[in-house]
Amino acid sequence: MASSSDLREKIRKKRRALQESLAKSKDDVDTQALVTTEMEMSSDRGRTEVEELSGSQEQQVTTLKQTLKAQRMRRRRKLLEDTTAEATRGDQPMGTELSEVGEPLDSVTKPRSTRHTQRDLPPLPVETPLRRRVAEKLKAAKSKAETLLQQEALSEPTSCLQSLRDRETLTRFDVETDPRLLSRETGELSTAARVKFQDAAHRVRQKAEMETGLPTAEMAYNFFTFNFDPEPQEEPVKRQKKGRSKRRDRAEEEEEGEEEGDSHGEEEEAGAEQEEEEPEEGRDEDAPLVGDQGSELFIIDQTAQDFLEVKAVDYVGYHSRVQRESEVLFTPSLRTVPASSKVPENRQPRYLEDEGLYVGERPPVSRVNQNILENRILQQDEGKKWFGDDGRVQALPNPIKQSPTRPPLFSLEGDLDPALQTVYRKALKSKHAGRYIPGAGPGEEQRHCQLDVDVAGLIFSHHPLFSREHVLGARLAQLYDQHLARQSRNLTGLLTDKLNGLRNATRNIKDLHGEQGLNMAMRQRMVEYKEEVKNTRILRDTEQEKDRTLLKSIVKVWKEMKALREFQRFTNTAYKLHLRREVVELQKDEQDFEAEIQAELAELRGEFEDEYQRKMEQYSQQHEEWRTWRRKQKARKKKKKAKMRDDGEEEEEEEEQEEEFVGDEPPKPELPEKQDWALAEQQVREKASRWRRRPGEPVLVPDISLSGSITPTEQCPRGEIARREDVSKRSLFVKVLYNDKEVSRTDRRSLSSDFRVHFGQIFNLKIVNWPESVRLQVFEVVGSSSSLLAEVFVPLPDTTVLTGSAPFQELEFGSSQRVAFDHEGVGSDVPFSFEADGSNKLTLLTSGKLSCCISWAVDKNEVPLAPPNSQQPWGVRSGLRQMDAIACIGASGLSDMKKLSKWAAESRLDPNDPSNAMLMQLLTVASSGSVQVPDYFRLEQLQEEFNFVTDEELQRSRRFQLLTLRSQEVAEFRNYKNIPAVEREVSEKIFQDYERRLQEGEVIDTRDHLDAHRALVAKYLQKVRESVVNRFLISKHHFILSDLVQEDEVPSIGVLGLNLFKLAEPKRPLKPQRKERKKVTAQNLSDGDIKVLVNIIRAYDIPIRKPLSSKPPVASKSARPFKEPFAAGQSSQNALQGGDWPLSQSQIRPFVEVSFQRTVCQTTTADGPNPCWNEELELPFSAPNGDYSTSSLQSMKDEVFINIFDEMAFDITEDERERGSSVHTRIERHWLGSVKIPFSTVYLQSRIDGTFKVQSPAVLLGYSKERSLASEGGYDAVRCLSEGSFITLFITIQPQLIPGESVRERMKEIKFDTQEEERLLQAAEVFQRDAALCFPGRPCITTVIDINGKAVFVTRYIRALSPPQELLDAFPNSPQETMELVARYVSLIPSLPDSVSFAGICDIWSTCDQFLTLLAGDEEEHAVLLCNYFLFMKKKAWLIIGTAVPEGPTAYVLTYEQGHYVIWDPSKGQYYGQYDTFCPLQTVGCLINADNVWFNLQPYDTPMRMSFDVTRSKLWKPFFSRAFPNPGLSSVQPEEIAYKRSDKAAAAELQDRIEKVLKEKIMEWRPRHPTRWNRYCTATLRHFLPKLELSRGRDVGEEHRLELHNLLGDYRISGFPLHMAFSELHPLVEMVYSTGVHNVEAPSIEFALAVYVHPYPSSVLSVWVYLASLVRTR
Amino acid sequence: MAELHIIGQIVGASGFPHSSLFCKWGIHAGGAWRLLSGLREGQTQVDSPQTSDMAFWSHPIDLHYATKGLQGWPKLHLQVWHQDLFGRCELSGYGYCHVPSSPGHHRLRCATWRPLGSWQEQLAQSFVGGGPQLRFPDVIYSGADRYRLHTAAGGTVELELAVILRNFDKYGVES
Repeated sequence: MASSSDLREKIRKKRRALQESLAKSKDDVDTQALVTTEMEMSSDRGRTEVEELSGSQEQQVTTLKQTLKAQRMRRRRKLLEDTTAEATRGDQPMGTELSEVGEPLDSVTKPRSTRHTQRDLPPLPVETPLRRRVAEKLKAAKSKAETLLQQEALSEPTSCLQSLRDRETLTRFDVETDPRLLSRETGELSTAARVKFQDAAHRVRQKAEMETGLPTAEMAYNFFTFNFDPEPQEEPVKRQKKGRSKRRDRAEEEEEGEEEGDSHGEEEEAGAEQEEEEPEEGRDEDAPLVGDQGSELFIIDQTAQDFLEVKAVDYVGYHSRVQRESEVLFTPSLRTVPASSKVPENRQPRYLEDEGLYVGERPPVSRVNQNILENRILQQDEGKKWFGDDGRVQALPNPIKQSPTRPPLFSLEGDLDPALQTVYRKALKSKHAGRYIPGAGPGEEQRHCQLDVDVAGLIFSHHPLFSREHVLGARLAQLYDQHLARQSRNLTGLLTDKLNGLRNATRNIKDLHGEQGLNMAMRQRMVEYKEEVKNTRILRDTEQEKDRTLLKSIVKVWKEMKALREFQRFTNTAYKLHLRREVVELQKDEQDFEAEIQAELAELRGEFEDEYQRKMEQYSQQHEEWRTWRRKQKARKKKKKAKMRDDGEEEEEEEEQEEEFVGDEPPKPELPEKQDWALAEQQVREKASRWRRRPGEPVLVPDISLSGSITPTEQCPRGEIARREDVSKRSLFVKVLYNDKEVSRTDRRSLSSDFRVHFGQIFNLKIVNWPESVRLQVFEVVGSSSSLLAEVFVPLPDTTVLTGSAPFQELEFGSSQRVAFDHEGVGSDVPFSFEADGSNKLTLLTSGKLSCCISWAVDKNEVPLAPPNSQQPWGVRSGLRQMDAIACIGASGLSDMKKLSKWAAESRLDPNDPSNAMLMQLLTVASSGSVQVPDYFRLEQLQEEFNFVTDEELQRSRRFQLLTLRSQEVAEFRNYKNIPAVEREVSEKIFQDYERRLQEGEVIDTRDHLDAHRALVAKYLQKVRESVVNRFLISKHHFILSDLVQEDEVPSIGVLGLNLFKLAEPKRPLKPQRKERKKVTAQNLSDGDIKVLVNIIRAYDIPIRKPLSSKPPVASKSARPFKEPFAAGQSSQNALQGGDWPLSQSQIRPFVEVSFQRTVCQTTTADGPNPCWNEELELPFSAPNGDYSTSSLQSMKDEVFINIFDEMAFDITEDERERGSSVHTRIERHWLGSVKIPFSTVYLQSRIDGTFKVQSPAVLLGYSKERSLASEGGYDAVRCLSEGSFITLFITIQPQLIPGESVRERMKEIKFDTQEEERLLQAAEVFQRDAALCFPGRPCITTVIDINGKAVFVTRYIRALSPPQELLDAFPNSPQETMELVARYVSLIPSLPDSVSFAGICDIWSTCDQFLTLLAGDEEEHAVLLCNYFLFMKKKAWLIIGTAVPEGPTAYVLTYEQGHYVIWDPSKGQYYGQYDTFCPLQTVGCLINADNVWFNLQPYDTPMRMSFDVTRSKLWKPFFSRAFPNPGLSSVQPEEIAYKRSDKAAAAELQDRIEKVLKEKIMEWRPRHPTRWNRYCTATLRHFLPKLELSRGRDVGEEHRLELHNLLGDYRISGFPLHMAFSELHPLVEMVYSTGVHNVEAPSIEFALAVYVHPYPSSVLSVWVYLASLVRTR
Repeated sequence: MAELHIIGQIVGASGFPHSSLFCKWGIHAGGAWRLLSGLREGQTQVDSPQTSDMAFWSHPIDLHYATKGLQGWPKLHLQVWHQDLFGRCELSGYGYCHVPSSPGHHRLRCATWRPLGSWQEQLAQSFVGGGPQLRFPDVIYSGADRYRLHTAAGGTVELELAVILRNFDKYGVES
């Protein structure tokens, strides 16, 4: 099927394409193509005829059909090919076909032609050949069919047709069942296909018609509108459903509709028709259809109607449908399902709600729907599972909230939450925005709201000007009003009716049921009724009493009034009371009265009866109890008596016990007494007589009129006249205040004599703001002054209250003003009396009623001019507020516990509703205690419940603590790399240091420092350091672009050109140039990556050994210069000493030992006093904590120690016989001197290259300096000036580390707060920038940072300061000596580089007094102090800012002495001439004195090659010039420094301690050897040290040595005094250690150690340590 | 004590009307959370993309939290800013997203919004720049009463976060 339908589809498409192409081509071609296709179709038709003929029997037919179908398919394919081929072939086949046109079709053509003529169309020339061709084709097809089917040949087409026609009916009925079958088999597709083909055929026919040149209207229409889509299939389906009879009819109709040609044609037509029918019924699909159409096309001309059929709507009768549906459908009934069928059997429905469980409100479902649902569900399997225990369909509570949870949002622009306000302030409306009535949108017109205030008038119920009569009158009026009001309410009547009704009801019950027939419920009801009756009666009685008293008081007041009028002889008021009597029937009245009393009595009796009953019951119960108790008592007594007989003594106690046991005796109940009837009756009657109208008494109706006449004024006494005048003077007006603003006021109305004022004015208030309050103020005017009498607040009307319908309100007002008059007016708040004797005083306050009305106005169109209801704050409060707490009390109210609980109580929350659970819990908590509103607010309420662990546990976790501390960069953990993943792996000890540090705080440990003062200073320094570090850390996070982006400079043209030149330069391999090494950033380094390279090249002038001979040293000294060759001199010496040291060949065998971080390397040993090693030593480097960050590297305090030793070999071969065969020597080394270079210097300068002076002790025992050598070398001039030995070094770090960015550059970015002028700072900045631009290498300083972190201009530091007086006094005659002494003093202050103490953060300059207090400072501080001292000594002194080796950027002092300049090294206390080669100062950047700063503009910056004449502005650029003069900066230095006197005792104590410590240390360092101390030597040395101090370590060597030699002739001594400024013990120990004296291992070695501490003022201490080793030679 | 690592990056933003954007970010966690290490807020560089409209920041986020409860799981709030021709910065979006609670690698897209302001403000914004900003940026993650705001949608910020949980299972939190 599918394939066939596909095929059909294809064909259709092809055909359409064909048609389109054909339409374009020539006419004849067109027809040709058409004809051929149609001819093929007609062949099919012919075949069908054949089939029809034979197919009398169904089976045969069907089989045939099937075979045919297959064949058709095949043929169709061929046909398609043919048609396409033919279309191209053109006319050619026409001829052949023409010739083959056969006879049999003539009959067919005839009617056709007639038809054409009828159409008034000229016959087509092609027509006949066409027909012929068709006929021919037909014939061919027939023959084919014949052969195929193997049937008998047909005799004649006509006969065939005829026979067909005859058989027509037969087939119809025969195949009655057949089409159905088929339709079932083939389905709708066949029909669909058929229709398609019909359609196609139709179109083809139209094409044919188009050839005539006259398209029909339909065709035209189709051309434009037809949609060539497959037709929908519904239609054919429907059509198939229809009865067959219709078809028959239709066929006939068609026949009728046609114009009948002749009978033959008709037959033909019918045949065609028949054939059209046939495929519908019998054939499955297309082929027969094609045949049909083909025949139609050619045989008859039909209109479109012929192919369409109009069918009536298929209709099945209602009843039959209902019947049919009722078989399959189930309609649930609408009836209620009995509850029993919904719950499981044998079970009662149970109602959870009754059991107290919460059952939510069900969603509303209509009863009918529910029934339907239940009925339906019950029909299902397991239908009952849908029902709950209560027999209802299970349902969740209604989820729909009655109100929105959110308070409705009315205006988006209005009062925004402040948290949401955006920053654009301007756009916000004014704060009164919310008070305006909305609706004033930009486009909309401002809405008018109008409030009408109608002030009608006012009546005073009391006024100061009231006369007494007025008072009474007012009271009367008031009472009368009350009376009227009561009457209108008629409470008494109502209650009486109710009472009667109740009584009737009770009686009815009694009558109906009788006394005994009452069941429980009825009895209950009776009791209730009785109770009700009783209550009602009491109520009625009180009401009646009130009525009566009111009436009485009215009468009484009236009587008083009358009396008063009589008394004063005039009347002021027009009140008149009439009492109208309504006569009543006495008889009936009496009856009623009696009946009423009787009824009451009866009820009372009943009540009494009940009461008595109850009491009796109670009594009997109590009595019973009492009796049982009595009986027990008696029994016990009997027992007691029996016991008494047994034992007398025990009895007493027991009795007491007994007594206690029995306890209190129940009181003997009294018999309730009967009520006294007579008394009761009397009471009732009395009451009735008092409160009720007596029988026969007429009903009194009071009536007050104002008809009385008022006495004219003339006739009144004077007081009254005065009062009346006063009254007439007064007038009143009312102000209307809207939102506390006066909007209008009434006219003034004078006060009338009856104290009523009528205004009758209406004010129309057009309002913009929200109405908040409307106030009326009553003013009283006397003369020209007005006073506020009272104020009335008028409630704002609801928006529904409109003008016209609004009732008047009477608003009471009052005033507490005290008014008193001397006339008849009673005044206000003043006591007065009606009595003549003044008793029974009354005090009345002014009061009254204001009658007014406020309403919203209505405009012409009856539209209320009220604001929208919803916006009104009081309009929202509707039923919702009960349900939603927020809507009711507002969100802020939720935190107010009291408000909330109140609301909860009011709204009667369902305590079982889960949605209220939170609220209820809150409330129970709140209400359990006295309502305790906590004064705190819990942020995360349920946090506690869900916590994993407690806070403490979290706090206790060591790992977390460690992580946090690390991330906080706490010093101890800053670079902690790996933190264990598991808690237990974190050791507890890890925090010990940290915690100790935290705990220590202020505690000062003097043990480490030996000196309390120094400990304090250390503490203070630490603090300063911390604060600076913190300050720096903050600024460290302030990044600039260059911190983050490293950008290589783009080479400029000049640089490029230069490089090009370089290419052209000749190569000079013999002049190698140092290449820049690649720099490594420090962060990704680890231990072992970095090495310190120390290149030791050579040394000069190392002291040589001195033979231990008795020869006077002077001789040797003098002798040596004459020795020409160096070695020769030695040999001669050796010859002398040969016996002692046979192995020591040379005068000295020095080697260098470099120690760094406790790793030690040493060079090979060289010979002679000017050795040359040229060796490279590699020392591994490790940073503290593995932290290789720049800041940590900068703050490293490690130093590179370079020690020069003399290696001495001693022959210790003891056995002389072995001397020939073995060598046994011991090597000793003697310290000669050292050079210390701090690592930070190496790091910051990246390399240190130069010749350094070796720090050698002033005296080296056993060694001597060869001064004479000066003439030998080339350095004569130089070396003769300088003393000591020198060493040439090159130190660097491998790989090269990037030094931390220059401290000063860094600091430039950070702006320090300052007190300097802005102008000065700017100038300083410019000056520095210019300097850096011209000479980037030269340091230039204008502003520095003081200890408080403030920027200070540098010249402020320079100020003449006096040195300690004792220093000045030391050498009064020699200024040179004094200067040296002062320099020494300064140098004795320990030096502590800032970069170390402040972690390379910044250079801090402290003032001199701070410096002396701290006793620690940088080169700058030393230099400043020294410079200041020199200035005091009237020297010309400057501060030099420059660089020096090895310390780098530093500060020196320059003085001008007798025509030449002297450079002072302040931290060493040494001075150099300007042309001194070994001056450590390398570059000079600027000079500073108190007045100015000069920057070096000379081409050279080494001191030797420059001029220090600052007056030459070409060479020195001054900061303050004529353009910018010095503003006269005041100094930051103190006027004078107070020096502490030197403390000798403390020094001595310190001296002992140091000595002790050092001795201990030395013994500690020699763990395997005994350490012997030569006391004698020590004493000698100690004696000697002060001398050294005095001479500052110079020029004492020889004498000293001689002295020593004399003392210890038979010892070989090697030793030296060490000198240093005292800061701490630790460096001292380090220094002693580095000399390596303790390493001597000679068995007979002895040591001598002496310490001397020389105190200078201000605790500056100079420490001398004399260290010697002695070896006994004999 | 459960621990949470959030490691990742703010990749970039796209869909904003302007290029040259930067982002201020912050992490907000409840009271039960303790930051052990890492920065809880920061700001990226300004990226002005040359080709596409996506601005890339690749800004690292690395946080280590310890917690004693699940409440207040960390959430990220973002502010995307635009730097205009004159170097002025104006807001172009607020965003907010939860840090994923399941371990592993997550790609997040955080949509942003910005307050619209009145038409005058919008007009002013289109001519002179600037624009309304929240006075209290807490609103970004608190969300109370935000329905009163008129906002316009901004672009989206892309984040890549890797979440590592530790010891949560000890306290009955399955991940």
